[in-house]
Order: sequence, then C-alpha cells, then structure tokens
Amino acid sequence: MLGNDFFALTGRALRKWIRNPAAVMPGFFMALFFLVLFGNSLNPTSLIPTNFGGFHPTAAQLAMIKIDLLAQYFSSAPTYISFLTAGIICLILVFNMGFGGIDLVLDRQNGFLNTLLSAPISRASIFFSGVVQNILKVLSLAFITFIIALILPNGLELGSGFGILDFLGVFGTFILLAFGISCVFTALALSVKSIDSLIAIVNFATFPLIFASTALFPQAGSPIWLLDISDVNPISKASDAARLLMINGGNLTSTQLNAFGLDIAYLVAFTVAVTVLGYLAARKALAPK
Amino acid sequence: MSNIVEAEGLTKLYGEKVTAVDNISFTVKDGEVFGFLGPNGAGKSTTIKMLTTLASITSGKASVAGFDVVKDPSAVRRSIGIVPQELTADDELKGTENLVLAARLHHVSGSEIRAKSKEMLKLFDLEDASERRVRTYSGGMRRRLQMAMGLVHSPKILFLDEPTLGLDIQTRTKVWQYIHLLNKEHGLTVFMTTHYLEEADGLCDRIAIIDHGIIKVSDTPSRLKEQFGGEVLTLTISGDEDLTDFLRTVPDVGDVTLVGRVFKLKVTKTENALPVIIEGVTRRGLKVTDISSSRPKLDDVFLEVTGRSMRGGEGGGESWVQNMNMGRSTS
Repeated sequence: MLGNDFFALTGRALRKWIRNPAAVMPGFFMALFFLVLFGNSLNPTSLIPTNFGGFHPTAAQLAMIKIDLLAQYFSSAPTYISFLTAGIICLILVFNMGFGGIDLVLDRQNGFLNTLLSAPISRASIFFSGVVQNILKVLSLAFITFIIALILPNGLELGSGFGILDFLGVFGTFILLAFGISCVFTALALSVKSIDSLIAIVNFATFPLIFASTALFPQAGSPIWLLDISDVNPISKASDAARLLMINGGNLTSTQLNAFGLDIAYLVAFTVAVTVLGYLAARKALAPK
Repeated sequence: MSNIVEAEGLTKLYGEKVTAVDNISFTVKDGEVFGFLGPNGAGKSTTIKMLTTLASITSGKASVAGFDVVKDPSAVRRSIGIVPQELTADDELKGTENLVLAARLHHVSGSEIRAKSKEMLKLFDLEDASERRVRTYSGGMRRRLQMAMGLVHSPKILFLDEPTLGLDIQTRTKVWQYIHLLNKEHGLTVFMTTHYLEEADGLCDRIAIIDHGIIKVSDTPSRLKEQFGGEVLTLTISGDEDLTDFLRTVPDVGDVTLVGRVFKLKVTKTENALPVIIEGVTRRGLKVTDISSSRPKLDDVFLEVTGRSMRGGEGGGESWVQNMNMGRSTS
C-alpha cells in the first residue's frame, strides 16, 4: 500500500507541476541568470591584468597565465564556467528544494494534508512523496542548467572521453545531494505552519550552506575556519565530485578516483542519516496532537 | 439499531489550562443523521478531530464503526469519509482526477476506481464537468465534488463539517437533498456540524448541543422543542429601556432574552401574559411596536441551552481542519 499511496501523491504533485509552466520558468531563468552573471562577473580570468608594472604580456603569455590560474585554483577547468557549472547546479538544487516545500505548507493550510491524515495511507508515503516530487522537479532544472552551460559561449567544456557513465555519475551525485537536502526541507515543510516561517528558515539555512562550500569558489584563499566548514559541507562534496567528472571525463587518475569515491561515500552517509532523521521528524509532525 | 459512534468520557486538554472537550459521552446510531451543534469554540470541532483520528485524546475513549480511535486508527480511517469545510479538491486537477486520487488514497481496488468515480459523478450531477479542471468549477460544484470525494470509497459514516456554509440558498437546498438521499436511500450514517439550525432541524434524526466542551442536551429535534414547552413570544418595544427584569416578573413568562430591541419570551400561557405585558409597557410610556407568537424552534432551544444565538456565529464557522492547521487550542 505504501507504493500505491506514494505513487498517487507523487503523481498528483507532478501533474500539477506540469500543468503550471509558470512554476518552471523562474527556475529556468535562475539557471540562466546565475550562469551568465556569475560566469562573467566572478570570472577570475577576466581580472588578469594586461599591464604588470609596465610589462605587457603577449596574448600567448596571457593565455598561459589564464590556464595556470584555472589549473592551480579552479580544478584545472578549461573555462571558468566549467568550474562553476557543478556549483551552480548545486545552488539551484538547494534553493529549489527549500522553496519546493511551499506546496506542502499550502497543502496543510488548505486542508489537503488533514484529508490525507484522515485517510488510511502510510505516513511514510506523505514524507517520501514530498521528497521525491521535489527531486524530480529540481533534477529537470539541473538538466536544463547543464545544457545551458554547454551552449553558452566559453561555457562548460566537458573533459575528453566524457561519456554516458560520467553523465550518470554526475547526475547520480546530484541525486544523492538532492535526496538528502530534500529530506531536510520536506521534514521542515511538514513541521512549520506558515509559508513565511518556511521561507525565513530556508533563506537562513541555504545562503551559509552555499557560500560556505566549494560550489562557487575554490578553497584556496579561504580562511581556515571556512575551510573547516567547507570540508564537512555536503554541497562541497557534491560540487567537487560532479566537477571532477565534468572536467576530467573518464580520465580520472587514481588520486582523483579516490577523492571521488570519498566524496560519494560521504554523500551516501549524509543522505542516509538525514533520511532517517527527516522521516522521524516528519512522523512526529504528522502525529495527532 | 447498533451504535456506529460511541464516545465515553471523552476529554481533550490543550496544555494544562484549556479544556476544549470536557468528559462528554454520546452515541450515534447506525444509519442516522446526527447533528453536532454549538457556538464557536464550543468543542464540536475538537470532538470531530478526535473521532477522525486527527487529534489525540486526553482521556476517555471513543470508537467509530466498532474500532477504537486510539488503538486502531487505521481501521477507523478506512471506515470514515470526511467532507471538510475547506474545499480541498485540487484546482489544477480535473474533477475525475480528484475523485480517482481520493479513491486511490482510500485503497479502492484498481478495477473499481473508475466505476466508483463515475457513480459519484452521476450521483452529484458532475458528469458534464468531469473532464474540466476544478478551477473552472462554481462554488456549488466544488462542494458537490468535495462530497463525492468523501464518499468515493463507500465509507460507513460520513463526517460533514459545515456542509453548506457560504453557499447560496439554491445550492444549499441541493446539498440538503444529497444528504437526505445518501441517508435515506443509501443508508449512510452522517455526522454533521452546522451553523444553520433549520438545516439541523430538517435533516438530523438527532442532535447534540455542545457548549464550553460539555454536551448540554441531546435528543431528536422534535423532542427538544417539546421539552422547551409553551410558545415563543417575540416583542419589539419602542425606546431604549431594558425591560428584561420587568418581563421576568410577568406570570407565565419563563426565560427572557434581548436581541437588539427584540425581546424573546418563553411563555407557557400567552393569553395570561400578554395583557400584563402590554399594561406594564404602556405604564412606562412605551409602546409595543411589533408582536408575534410562534411554536418554539430549534433556535429557541439553542438560545436557552447556550445563552447565545447561533446567528451570532454565522459566517465565522470554525473548522476542525482549520483549527488543526493553525494548531490552535480552540475547538
């Protein structure tokens, strides 16, 4: 019966989502906006001076400086957007996961949640359909962002040999992060009574999570305390793992493969932990008071 | 006739200070329409929340369709249908899709879902609108769809919370007809709250009036009116003077209530009381500008029992769903 309840609720949410394109468009423009804005305004290679105290490097020298800069600080990405794409996708995942809970708060406010609670359905189906519908919605945005990054001039350049397995690895990484984050925000959405409270908490939580990670900036130059936070931040793990695959394709060295494996193991542990905690919190929130 | 709902010493405390429902006991018989009436905050919504497993019980016990609401909530949920005051049908889904969803969530078997949905659409005259999205429905159509969703799984008892609140008189009459039809022809037990006393009077086999968490009276509408006894004399008197004390001294006059400038008197013998009243009013230099006498109505019973007019609460109808949502401690 859990499966029947889960599919019924998830189907309802996805039908509503598909029939309301206005709900999808902001996510699309958010992806475009972040890639174009951050891809240009934060691009460190555009800040390389053409005059070093009277010395004017040649175009070839400037190109070498650019390559060295990206190699040393930006995971050897061929372009800045190649470095940035994984982080922007994580940013989009986290923000949309947070605000995706609004539908659940609305369900509570308009009485639909109580209709569910008075029906003989499994409480787990309410929680997990909330988690999965959010993931499905957000993954489509992640895919759109990936495509936009590929199309943009000086955009995402995938590593040679990047194949279907690497693609699945990249999106598998995003799914792991999305599942964990979705469990947190779904439990939160089922626990709060108003949209205002949800938005306040989401804003409060997501900004530090994003900016205290390697999603948008490399670790080099960060203060030590921020490095410590960044090191345990699951967004850093997902950004690093996805970025590694995007930039290097199927040509990972054993060191890189090891780093990738550790990041994924960390994400799996994080996701399992927050799934259990999220479910327990949701069950408490849905229990008769 | 067996009892489909049994409540014994049912109590609900919110925190340590707020007693929403105070040790109430009542039964609902299988196949009857039971009306639960009370002013806002009386405890009726909290009672329904407890019976439908949406709220925990502080003390006492209750069973619905033979199942204990605390020990076997899943069995209770399988046996009940709920039509909340809110319109919870999904605007973006079609009428049929909402019904199919409700059926699936109540575990109606796959082969039966379509047939049951069609049956409900036909019963509630929604066949023509079944493929339209609910956002295009009128208020009356939404209410009918809501009732269909509460019934699609063939529950043993249907809980209706203010089923006609905010509806125009034609739609309200139509909803009454549906409730009557479901009860008389389909044998469905209905447990309803309403702010419209004429609705309770016309539809309910038995009613209970709850106030301050306590059931004040419970009986058939006709017996309650009989118990009220005598007649209701309604007087409009010129001026602003409060004549309540004087009217209470008049022979054969029982309770006196003042609503605006209208005095309502419970009178055992109008022919004895009326000359004394007119003489007393005239002596005070006032005039009786309007006078009428009627058999007691449920409204009069309600007023006597609660000391409040139900009309005062109209339009501010509470809802157990809303209360649950807001996490308020009122009922």
